[in-house]
Amino acid sequence: MSGANGAGIRVTVDGSPVEVAPGSTVLEAIRAAGGSVPTLCYDERQAPFGACRVCLVAVAGAPGPVPACTTPCREQMQIDTRDDTARRVVRTIVELVLSELPVAPAPHTELARLARELEIGAPRFTGEVHAPRLDDRHPYLVFQHELCISCGRCVRACDEVQGAFALTATGRGFHANVTAGLDAGFRDSTCVSCGACADTCPTDAITETTLLNLAAA
Amino acid sequence: MVSYAERPEGIVVSQNLVELVRRHHAVQAPTALEVLKQALEHHGEITDADRRSAAQASGLPDAAVYGVSTFYDDLLQPRGRRHVRVCTGTACFAATADAHVEQLEQALGLELGQRSADGEVSLAETVCLGFCHSSPAVRDGDVIDSGPGLIERVLAGATRPATEPEWSSTLTEPVLTRPGDFSGLARALAELTPQQLLDEVKQANVRGRGGAGFPAGAKWQFAAAADGEQKYIVANGDEGDPGSFIDKYLMERNPALVLEGMALAGYAVGASHGFILTRSEYPLSKPALEQAAAAARAQGWLGEELGGSSFSFDVTVLEGAGSYVVGEETALIACIEGRRGTVSARPPFPAQRGLHGLPTVVNNVETLANVPFIAARGAAAYAQLSPGATPGSKLVCFNERFARPGVYEVSFGVSMRELCEQLAGGLVDGRVIKAVQIGGPLGGILPGSRLDTTFDFEPLAAEGCMVGHGGILAFDDRTDMRAVARHLLRFGAHESCGKCFPCRIGLKRAHEQFSGEAPVDRERFEQLLEALELGSLCAHGSGLPAPMRSLLAHFPDELRLA
Repeated sequence: MSGANGAGIRVTVDGSPVEVAPGSTVLEAIRAAGGSVPTLCYDERQAPFGACRVCLVAVAGAPGPVPACTTPCREQMQIDTRDDTARRVVRTIVELVLSELPVAPAPHTELARLARELEIGAPRFTGEVHAPRLDDRHPYLVFQHELCISCGRCVRACDEVQGAFALTATGRGFHANVTAGLDAGFRDSTCVSCGACADTCPTDAITETTLLNLAAA
Repeated sequence: MVSYAERPEGIVVSQNLVELVRRHHAVQAPTALEVLKQALEHHGEITDADRRSAAQASGLPDAAVYGVSTFYDDLLQPRGRRHVRVCTGTACFAATADAHVEQLEQALGLELGQRSADGEVSLAETVCLGFCHSSPAVRDGDVIDSGPGLIERVLAGATRPATEPEWSSTLTEPVLTRPGDFSGLARALAELTPQQLLDEVKQANVRGRGGAGFPAGAKWQFAAAADGEQKYIVANGDEGDPGSFIDKYLMERNPALVLEGMALAGYAVGASHGFILTRSEYPLSKPALEQAAAAARAQGWLGEELGGSSFSFDVTVLEGAGSYVVGEETALIACIEGRRGTVSARPPFPAQRGLHGLPTVVNNVETLANVPFIAARGAAAYAQLSPGATPGSKLVCFNERFARPGVYEVSFGVSMRELCEQLAGGLVDGRVIKAVQIGGPLGGILPGSRLDTTFDFEPLAAEGCMVGHGGILAFDDRTDMRAVARHLLRFGAHESCGKCFPCRIGLKRAHEQFSGEAPVDRERFEQLLEALELGSLCAHGSGLPAPMRSLLAHFPDELRLA
């Protein structure tokens, strides 16, 4: 593969050269090179959001780590996914995310998998956690607000993928969360029951009530 | 050989809501935020019926309007028939160590954010009212009162309007304190092409005065070069820094100069409309700017064919609803569009895709106020204002602890000691400067022993400080520096927009660590600061570690670390 025709952008990922399409992100280059970097707010079906900051990597010449998902590739960029500073910061951020939940995330969730990958044991950060709040009045969707980490994937799935605009981010700071409609639950919103939000949720804050559960009820 | 389809420059973030808002703006629909603010003024709280009307009028979905209504401070605090807002800014903290807040809470029997059961009185927190020259300050209904005897007057129902701060210039030829008269615009329209004006501003090397110090000419160049028949100028009047009342002075006392700067920016980059966002904490700013805009229209300096030229430019004045982070440029644009004022990742930069998805220049109002002088006199004269230092002049302001508080126009390159001791006269009552925080809550804290530092970008950076927006806020020798850390972290956590994880959770945890009496684990705190500094999406989370590092460096014993 050659960039001699000027069509692609040549970068290196941990020393390995790779050529990507103009407009590609650092994250796309890392994946094209067969490398990996953790993500939480990223879903390849959606536009990048840049909120979770766990895809931080080092780029030669940059003053500090950069988020891979929202940083465009530049010609000759040298990307380092193993940079000590970036890895330390990412670890701290994931510890912080775990510290806002009243219970540990279920083992099969993306967040729990990431915590295992980073070998995070007992969190060093403790303090206020999200208060339990349950919306289970919808026939197919259940929302446990205390498990929400405000990654915005459900809101974007509803907005970009489904176009239903049933979900929104709410509040601000630590008390940011997500809700449906005018905060009266999925059932009283413009939700079309497509399940895109539950499908993308990395913590099981939003889950689908399976047909099996309905049959058992 | 692989061929690639060209993708547009910059990353494409979700634009569906932006597009919805743009289409409604095009047919003069009000924004959701404007409708919600009107409802609040009308009946003191936001109901679901109000949210539905806001959705109907603005075109935003119900859920998005709900999100807006839970973001801005003003919309969240219930209002009684008498609505008392107490300033919890840093100047008020430096004056009373928050005693004025506790006194009001006790006397009114209300906590911050509460309304009495009979709906008679409500007590809310506000940061900050910009009366830092005579702290503490309270807004009682429409009256802002401040200074000695304040609490007694509030409780007696006898508040009266506080005196506005004094201002003056140390320059023989004032730039920012000279009343705007559109002479710079007149000269530019008669003698300069847009490109010549842009070149002059680039040559003048105007560094942004809002905090980041980014070269204004470079922003203008990007916007001028961007494709788009319609472009916008946005003047950032969201001076949220507690302890700063510089933009308040410009917008309320010298609004014509700001409007002239906006028109010049429009001429240089090819924009025919500008928006200026003022703060709801400064109730006089919007009327003052609107009055000045009406006068300018009457004189032919706003509207169609300015000064008889073929260039047309007009402005819209909008008011925010209580959010510090809305001072960040992508959040500011979201607020103008009536959406939640959260930060967006860049690229795309506003110069490529800003307000309503169109190329937009976002400049602080003080930055824009520099331009009329450059247009009238040129870059060389501008450089002479601060010989051997950053070109131009700077507005600074001093808090109530100083003997001569107020707004001053100064040159770069003077010493902090000269500013604090000679200009502002040192502290009142023979108190001693323990430390000064420069440039807002994200600025470093300079101990009194380091006042010989030069007031300019690089010398202050070497001390872990910044010019920032130019507020110079003294803590006197009685100040508990652990309480300063707690005060700043409380502000930081309260104002975090909630978008990026390090800021959203990290500032909360940092504030919690300083809230109790227990010693703070220094290693854990420093890891938190590192994650905030290197991981945050915007300057709010990445900036708050600066004053914390100053406190760790200069006052470690007072912080009670373990």
